[in-house]
Amino acid sequence: MADKSQVGREYELAPWEVERCKIKELAWAIGDPNPIYTDKEAAAKEGYQDIPAPPTYATVPGNWQSNTGQFMDDLGINYMMIVHGGEEYEYHKEIYPGDVISGKTTVASVVEKESKSGSKMDIVIIETVYNNQNNEKVLTARTTIIERK
Amino acid sequence: MAQELYFEDINVGDAIPSVKKDPVSKDQLWRYGGASGDFNPLHMDDEWGTMAGMGGRIAHGMLLMGFVGQAVTNYVPKKYLKKFSVRFGSMTKLDDVITISGNIKDKRTENGGNIITGELLATDQNGDMKVTGTFEAALPSKSV
Repeated sequence: MADKSQVGREYELAPWEVERCKIKELAWAIGDPNPIYTDKEAAAKEGYQDIPAPPTYATVPGNWQSNTGQFMDDLGINYMMIVHGGEEYEYHKEIYPGDVISGKTTVASVVEKESKSGSKMDIVIIETVYNNQNNEKVLTARTTIIERK
Repeated sequence: MAQELYFEDINVGDAIPSVKKDPVSKDQLWRYGGASGDFNPLHMDDEWGTMAGMGGRIAHGMLLMGFVGQAVTNYVPKKYLKKFSVRFGSMTKLDDVITISGNIKDKRTENGGNIITGELLATDQNGDMKVTGTFEAALPSKSV
């Protein structure tokens, strides 16, 4: 079960350089044909200074430079009992190739809930705020992890 | 690809154009693993998925969110998107055909911004709910 005393604990997410091809690779893998994610000129015609990061791009630095192992271990969460309940993004500023984004991750909340069938679970919310190289806030991500008990 | 969109163009109840995806394939899950950095064997290996009681490998939840994001920014220009969230439902398996549809739930003017909110649903070929999503966007007005 998730250790409630960990709420508020912070973790760094190392600087991540946003690469053009990694943006394209994500759009291709999703199968999203929107040319703004792959073609700089098409993006410019729609008012972007370059190809913008797609809506779910934050999962890329989130996985490749993951600090998940750290906070999961500190929370004492059993990996075999978790599901990814949901994901939420707030967009503050566009993310473009060449940006270097760094994250600060916080254990935002741990709440115990009981399902209709009476089984107990912990709902853990992990928040990561990303800033770019100019120290401008670009994105906030909130991940909901459900740990069955 | 998304057409320019103005606050005045939107009415509550408007349909968000639906997107029907190609069947989920092994190739797509490998590519998504590489793109996203999520190589959890649950998504890469049928044996592992079977051991975990899933009856084979399952798609990454975030791939499904990517599908929903495709439908959102196919309709609302990415630059106007302020919030986007999903809740995950049942697991998506190989060969599932996912369709994303939705509509506009609210429009309001708030702190000088023209805000719309929409809800989306991703379902498979049997109508099973895979993901529900919501988004909020701030649109320009024709009058400014």
